[in-house]
Amino acid sequence: MSFELVILISMLAVFAAGVFIFKLPAGVSLMLASITGAFVAGEGLPVRHLVEGSFGFLEAIMIIATAMIFMKVVEATGALSTISYYMIKSLHKRPTLLIIIITFFVMFPGMLTGLSSACILTTGALVVPALLAMGMPKKAVGSLIAMAAVFGEIAPPISIPVMIIGGGVDMPYIGFTGPLLIASFPPAIFTAIYYRKKYLKDFNIDEVLEKLENPVYDQYGFKLFLPIILVIALLLSEMLFPELMFHLGVPLIFMIGTLTAFGTGNKFKPVGMLQNSLRNAMPVMAILIGVGMFLQILTLTGVRGYLAVSALQLPEEVKYLAAVIMPFFGSAYAAASVIGVPLVFVFLGKNSIIVASALALMAAMGDLMPPPSLLCAYAGQMVGEPNHFKILKASALAIFVTGAVGILMIYFANDIGQFINLF
Amino acid sequence: MKIDHKIVASFLLFLMTVVCIVSGVEFLDMRTPDVIYPSEDLTKIGKLSDYFEELKDGSGDTDIYFFEGKEPGATVLLLCGTHPNEASGFIAGVLATENVKIKAGRLLIIPQACLSGFSCTDPMEGYPQSYTLESKSGERKFRFGSRVSNPLDQWPDPLVYSHFPSGQKLSGFETRNLNRSYPGRPDGTFTEKVGYAIVQLIKKEKIDLAFDLHEAAPEIPIINAIIYHEKSEDIGLNAILNLEFRDLRYAPERSPENFHGLSHREWGDNTDVYPFLMETCNPIQGRLRGRTNSELILTGKSPQYLAAQETGKLRIEYDAEGVPLDKRVARHLQGFLEIVNSYNEFFPEKTILLEGLPEYEDLLENGLSNYLK
Amino acid sequence: MIFWLYIVILVLLSLVIVKEMFEERDWKKQIALVMVLIPFILRIFLIK
Repeated sequence: MSFELVILISMLAVFAAGVFIFKLPAGVSLMLASITGAFVAGEGLPVRHLVEGSFGFLEAIMIIATAMIFMKVVEATGALSTISYYMIKSLHKRPTLLIIIITFFVMFPGMLTGLSSACILTTGALVVPALLAMGMPKKAVGSLIAMAAVFGEIAPPISIPVMIIGGGVDMPYIGFTGPLLIASFPPAIFTAIYYRKKYLKDFNIDEVLEKLENPVYDQYGFKLFLPIILVIALLLSEMLFPELMFHLGVPLIFMIGTLTAFGTGNKFKPVGMLQNSLRNAMPVMAILIGVGMFLQILTLTGVRGYLAVSALQLPEEVKYLAAVIMPFFGSAYAAASVIGVPLVFVFLGKNSIIVASALALMAAMGDLMPPPSLLCAYAGQMVGEPNHFKILKASALAIFVTGAVGILMIYFANDIGQFINLF
Repeated sequence: MKIDHKIVASFLLFLMTVVCIVSGVEFLDMRTPDVIYPSEDLTKIGKLSDYFEELKDGSGDTDIYFFEGKEPGATVLLLCGTHPNEASGFIAGVLATENVKIKAGRLLIIPQACLSGFSCTDPMEGYPQSYTLESKSGERKFRFGSRVSNPLDQWPDPLVYSHFPSGQKLSGFETRNLNRSYPGRPDGTFTEKVGYAIVQLIKKEKIDLAFDLHEAAPEIPIINAIIYHEKSEDIGLNAILNLEFRDLRYAPERSPENFHGLSHREWGDNTDVYPFLMETCNPIQGRLRGRTNSELILTGKSPQYLAAQETGKLRIEYDAEGVPLDKRVARHLQGFLEIVNSYNEFFPEKTILLEGLPEYEDLLENGLSNYLK
Repeated sequence: MIFWLYIVILVLLSLVIVKEMFEERDWKKQIALVMVLIPFILRIFLIK
C-alpha cells in the first residue's frame, strides 16, 4: 500500500470518527483530519499550512454569511412568504409547470453567482414553505432544492467549476453557453418532473394557502420587493456587464440589499437577526474552512497528486470511471481543480469545451456528497430534516441520471459540438 | 466537571490569538525583500513607478536594473517573476543581473515583475514560502510566491474577470494574474496598473526586444516552448533552429490572436517591441505532483509524473532525472541568448552585445552556485 | 475603497461571531466558530 494511501485513510478515519462517534461538527472533524494527515506524513503540526488552507474559500464564506443575513431579513419583512404565496396561488392548477418553474427559480442565484449554496440560501429558502405546505415530504423538498442548486451552479452565464477547469488548461471562458445549457437544463427538467410524479400528490389549494404565512403585499405594497429586485438587478449587471459596472462583489451586494430592507415591510431587530443568521450559516462556513485545510494538507503531503494519478491509471476501457468518481471528492471546486484539469487532457481529441462542461457537471455533484455534504446539510437545515443523509438518499436517482448526462456528453462530445455550432 | 461556556470561549479566543501570531509571523516573513547583487556593469536601478507615478513606494513598485554598453545598439527587456511560483524565471533574472556584462546596446532586467505576488503563497497549494540556494558567499534564501498578486493589494476578486479592453472573460482569480492584465490601464485594478506601467516602460524606453520568463506544469501542452507574437516569428524560428543545433529542443508556439491579456499578445499588439515568452517545465506547479516542498523546486523530481507518463494518457515532458532548477535556468538563459543572437542577425545595424552569462552546458557543469554572488 | 468596505463587513461578522461564542453553550460549536474567526482576523489585520 502506498504511503499516500495510508495518509488518506488516516485522514478519512479521523473525519469519520469525529462526525459519527464524537458527534463533532463536520468542519471541526475536517480540521482534525487535516492535522492527522500532516502528522502521519511527518509534517508535524504545520500551523501556517492549516491557516493558509482556511483562506481557500474566504470569499465563498463571506457570500454565504451575507446571503444568509439578507435572506433572513427579507424573510422577516414578509417578502419571502408573500412571493411563495402568490407563486402557488397563480400556478396551482398546473402542478408540473409549477414544479419546473420552482426548480428554475431555485437555480437562478447559482446561474448568476456560480455558487450552489447561494441557491439554497436564497430562492431555495423561499420555496421550501410552499413545497412543504403542498404535502411534499421534507427529504423530497430538500433533495429537489439541493439538485436545483447543482444545476444552478453549472448553468450559464456563470459556472465557476468550468472556469476552474478552464483556468487549469488555459482555456478562456468563451463558447460555454450552449454546452452548459445542455448540461444543466435537461437534467433539471427531468428532476422536476420526477419529483412531481413521485412526491407531489393532489392538494387542496385553500388548505395549502392557509398553511402559508399571510401575504403582506396589501399592507406594504410594491416596496416590499424592492430589496430583492435591487439585489437581483445588481447581481445581473455585475455578471452580465462586468465591463460597464463598478465591481461591488456578491457579499457587498447582499449587504446593500440588507440595508435597503429596513422599512420595506414588517419590523425586525437587526442585532438579533445578524446573530441568528450567522448561527444558521456557521456549520457550512466551518465546513468550508475545514475543506480548505483538508485540501491544503492533501496537496502538501502529495495525496492530491496520488488521487489524480490513480484516476489516470484506470484502464482505457474504464477511463470514464475517472469522471464518475469526480463527485466523490465531496466538493465541486476541489473535484474541478484536482481531477477536472487532468481529465480534459485524458479526453484530448474530443471537443474540449463540451468535455469541460460535462466534467464541471460531474464535479458539481460533489457538493452533494460526503464528507461535507454541503448542499444536503444546508437543504436539511432549510426543511428541518436533521439527518441530511436522508436527503442524499432521496437524490440518488436524480444524481444517477445527471451523471449519465455528463458521461454521455463526454462520449458524444464531438457530435454535440457540431450540433451547437449549427446555431 | 462542567466548565462554564464563557471560560471555554475565552480559552478558545486565546488559542486563536496564539495561532494567529504563530502563523502571522510566518506570513509576515514573506515581506522581507530578496537581495540581489548586480554586476559591475550596472548603470542604475530604476523603479516601475518611474513609468507610472501611482505605484510609487507600493508593493508593485519593483526594481529595474539598467545595464548600458559603451556602444549604442538595441534595447532589450528581460522580465522575470511575472508568476512568483515559477522559480526558474526569477532565478534566471537574478543570475543575469549578477553576471551580465554589456558592450553595446542596453539591457533592462526586472527580476520580480509581480513583486506583490512574492509576499504570499496561494491557499490550498501547500507551497513552501522560500527555498535556499548555495552561492559564492554561502547560502541564499529566495522567496517562492503566489501565481498572482497578493489579495491584500487587490481584493475581493470578482466572480468573472473581464479583460480590458477585449472583454474576454476568465475566472475571477485571474484578475490578479499579471500575465492576463496587459495592456493594463491607469485607472484599473492594482494588477492592471502594474501591467500598464510595464507597457509604458516598453514604450518610453523604446524597447526593441522583450522577454517574459515563465514555467508551466509538466501536463500543460505548451511547455519547453518559445511563444512568439506573429511579428517575431522569423527571429524566433531562427533561434529555435540554432538551439536545435545544440541539441536543445524548444517547441515553437505562435501567440493565439484571440487570447488576450498575455504579454506575447498585448506587448506585440500595443507597442513596437518584438516579444517572446519562454516556458520551462516545473513539477511543483503541476496537479499530479507528489509531496510539495522546497526540495521539489530545486530537484524538479516527482515520481508521480513518471507514473502518469506511463499511463500514456497525458503528454508529459518529464523523465526520471527530474527537471532540476539549474537545468531550467540554463534553458531560459540559453533561449534568451539565442534569441538575442537571432535578433542581431536580423538587425545588424542595431545590435546588443552581451557577455558574462553562462552557456547552457557551462551552467549545468558548474552549477548555479558558481554564478550567484 | 471597495477593499475597505469588505474589511468593514469582516469586522462586523467577526464581532457577531465573538458575541455568539460567549452565548453558545456547546463547546463543539464554539470550536467551529473560532475556526471561522481565524482567517477573518488575519485579513482584518492585513497579515494574510
